[in-house]
Amino acid sequence: MLNYRDLDWKLIGAALILSLIGVLLILSAQYHADSEFARTYYERQLIWLFIAIIIFVSVIHLPMRLFDVTAYMLFGVTLCALVAVLFIGSSRMGASRWFSFGPINLAPSDIAKLTLIFALARFFAYTKLGTASKQRLALSFMLTIIPTALILKQPDLGTSLVFPVILLALWFWSGLSLLHLFLIISPLVSLVAASHWIAWAAYIAVLLTILFLLRPGMLFGITAVVANLAFGIVTPFLWNRLADYQKLRILSFLDPGHDPRGAGYQIIQSKIAIGSGGITGKGFLGGSQTRLDFLPERHTDFVFSVLGEELGLWGALIVIFLFAFILYRAVRIAARCRSRFTSFVAFGAASILIFQFLVNVGMTLGFMPVTGLALPFVSYGGTSLVLSWTLVALLVSADYHWQEY
Amino acid sequence: MSKLQLTSGQREKTALAVIAAIVIFLVGGLVKLQIINHQQLAAQSENNHIRVVPITPRRGVVYDRENRRIIDSRPSYTISVVPAEQVKGVTLKNVAQLLKLDTLEIRRRIRKNLVNRYQPAPVKRDAFFETIAVLEEQSFRFPGVTYQIEQVRRYPVGLGSETFTGYVGEVSRADLKRQQNPELRLGSMIGKKGIEKQYDTQLRGHEGTAYIEVTASGQILGSYEDRPEIPAVSGADLVLSIDLDLQQACSDALDTFCCGAIVAADPKTGEILAMASYPSYDANIFSSVIPESVWQDISSSETHPLLNRPLKGLYPPGSTVKFVTVGAALEEGLITPSSTLQPCLGGFKFGNRVFHCWKSNGHGRLIAVHALERSCDIYMYQLGLKMGVDLLSRYYGLCGFGQPTGIDLPGEEGGLNPNSTYYDERYGPNKWTRALVLNNSIGQGEVLVTLLQLVQFYCGLVNEGIVYRPSLVRKILWADGNETTILPEISFRLPFSPSTLEVLCEGMRLVVEGEHGTARSLRSNQYSIGGKTGTAQNPHGEDHSWFVGVAPFDAPEIVVCALVENAGHGSDVAAPVVGQIIESFMQRRIRVNDITMKSTGDND
Repeated sequence: MLNYRDLDWKLIGAALILSLIGVLLILSAQYHADSEFARTYYERQLIWLFIAIIIFVSVIHLPMRLFDVTAYMLFGVTLCALVAVLFIGSSRMGASRWFSFGPINLAPSDIAKLTLIFALARFFAYTKLGTASKQRLALSFMLTIIPTALILKQPDLGTSLVFPVILLALWFWSGLSLLHLFLIISPLVSLVAASHWIAWAAYIAVLLTILFLLRPGMLFGITAVVANLAFGIVTPFLWNRLADYQKLRILSFLDPGHDPRGAGYQIIQSKIAIGSGGITGKGFLGGSQTRLDFLPERHTDFVFSVLGEELGLWGALIVIFLFAFILYRAVRIAARCRSRFTSFVAFGAASILIFQFLVNVGMTLGFMPVTGLALPFVSYGGTSLVLSWTLVALLVSADYHWQEY
Repeated sequence: MSKLQLTSGQREKTALAVIAAIVIFLVGGLVKLQIINHQQLAAQSENNHIRVVPITPRRGVVYDRENRRIIDSRPSYTISVVPAEQVKGVTLKNVAQLLKLDTLEIRRRIRKNLVNRYQPAPVKRDAFFETIAVLEEQSFRFPGVTYQIEQVRRYPVGLGSETFTGYVGEVSRADLKRQQNPELRLGSMIGKKGIEKQYDTQLRGHEGTAYIEVTASGQILGSYEDRPEIPAVSGADLVLSIDLDLQQACSDALDTFCCGAIVAADPKTGEILAMASYPSYDANIFSSVIPESVWQDISSSETHPLLNRPLKGLYPPGSTVKFVTVGAALEEGLITPSSTLQPCLGGFKFGNRVFHCWKSNGHGRLIAVHALERSCDIYMYQLGLKMGVDLLSRYYGLCGFGQPTGIDLPGEEGGLNPNSTYYDERYGPNKWTRALVLNNSIGQGEVLVTLLQLVQFYCGLVNEGIVYRPSLVRKILWADGNETTILPEISFRLPFSPSTLEVLCEGMRLVVEGEHGTARSLRSNQYSIGGKTGTAQNPHGEDHSWFVGVAPFDAPEIVVCALVENAGHGSDVAAPVVGQIIESFMQRRIRVNDITMKSTGDND
């Protein structure tokens, strides 16, 4: 039996406060909505919070060993679900992302984040291959690219980005040097830099200098250079392959004023909402941007904008520091665990939370493109909330059992 | 390579540093938006949801001298459908039935006028009040149907009163350029002609402002509590000098003719009592969109209903201006009241041309008053020759011809008072003969006048030479209860001494009262009348018929000038018209006096 007094109650408390703030913000976001259904979103979120806590309690009672042993199997099942959702999932706005069970919509992509962590953690925990060995990198890459591709196919660009981030985080945690990480990421930088040939040329020069000075190995170096050249050249081609709404999202992120009634609208309205909130905010339920429908997706992706408008800088800082605390605890837990599997799981959980927190809040502030990534604990959505609490459960469990190998 | 290979402790610190960097990055973003850019974004937020809506002020009412309404505003009901609130299969069907249109047509009108789903889209303008009553009583049958009340100007029809009322119309781009009034905007109403234009600023009042809260999709939630509404200031009401009964009499008198005009004024004040142009048109059509066919009819009609004849119509005055010729000769000492000239034998030879008198067998030897009584042309020719073009022209000018009277109406014409400079320019120096002065002396040739100038001139003649500026507005009643009374203003004095005026007035009296007067038919046993006939030759056909009458002549209260286009002799056509109007005026005056006398008698 667990000794409840030894659980990380501060971590649990922070997650609970964030979740309750989320319920209040969802209440406010749709308080003045025309539809009766929208006005009761907060009640559904409250029910989901209850379910999430039940799952949290269940997960902390399960031995970490169980996830270790079943990691690949769970991953396989999830991949099947991801394939299945493409065919039998319910479609909304041109994307099949959900299985519908009556009123409940289940997104297998959220579960895939979890099972990918298990699978990668198991792989990194037991592999005998060298840290920077080609096989190790390639195998872990293969594990990651399958769910990423399936989710891109839905299509859901935002969510699919989480998977490579988990991989990079776990590569880092498994001891891959910063140089290798940089070289791995470098083709992506090339992708962005290729929008202007001078920028790209300068970047390639920097890359070659680094390769020359730090000499990561012949094969690595050549691969990196070839990949960078390839990415730089195929960028225009890739750009043309993007769906119009994806292009618009990227363009409107680069210049929100470009099309204020269209794609840039959400970012502009979000910035107006947060900025007009000022230091003290317009008061709970008092945000005109929220109340009068100017703020889009305000109970899901832009819930942080509601917070910024109604509770001002103070409210936003409270949420940011609660996140900072959770993330800090997560990294500390991951570092302390003696079990390699558990440590990777904890760091993977931390990486999901860090990435989604950064991308979501950054988006509402106008720093990041509109990706449709939820703010963990706070945004409306059952599976998102359950996933967040499952991650917390894994962290609490890892902390509780930190001494076990 | 080993330098970048981290130990597990370094990895933990790196991860924590990344988290710290992210937190600082995001907090920085918050501070930028919520503190540094706060004011600008707060203003944008305000603009987002507060809509500033102007409140149209009530436009002033225009009354006649007895406080009867000439121009007022009536409510006009516009029925609209709010697309977001309509119920499928109910709203459109019932509205169509109510308006006796088919649903397709309703749908088409909604689409045409749609702003957004929450804004009422007009489907019927100027609906009957009965229709609105049905809407109100059976509102449950019409979900999503609303109506708005707009004020529409209402003008009298068939009185010829549009000569002074003018009308309002939608603000044009030219109006915007001309007037730097921020309250003017495209689509709002502005005075386009007449009193409506001249007193637009007073009638218009000042716009108020309402602050209305709207949602992102444009749904109106009602007034915004944090900013109180600024109420509109109603426009001022105007009291005109017009007498609607007399206006009616003028309109009736012209009714049997094709085209003509009448102006009646009070010689003691210059106030215009009636002013009509015929054919008239319905000024109400300008308040809404004018159907193309109606516009075509009006603007292309050969009778020119849109021409404001009293104000802008330029006519040769004919004999009506013989008082100028005789008056000038008396003033210049060229004749005395008892002197005679060459006798009139029906013709006058000048150079190698013979100029005729209207009476072909001649008037014989005449003194001034008789020359006026009988309107002898030969007598005037001789005076004209004595004076020459420029002296006569100077007197025309001193009598107010050739320049606008300055009545409080826009667009007045000044007529034409030709002198030698004019002729030099027109024909070239020495290319014209002195014979022109013969025409000018009898109000023919190139002399062109307006009815207002003639009325003004006669008012001066019977008012000891004092000419008041013709005016329409007597009082401005401001919305705050104050009033401004506009006092009669002396415009100028006629260039005639009292003795000259005495001769001219005697001539005017004899025209009606004299044995040989050209308007003997107007003689009345109840009151005395004076006046002058005129028969103006013109290049457009039959002669124009003129008459200017004054009554009661011993103490003048009214001067009436009538012009009937292409109708023949002044004595045959215009004189009876004026007689009819004077009769109407005098009968009412006598009635009013009777009542006053009776009521004072009762009191005794």
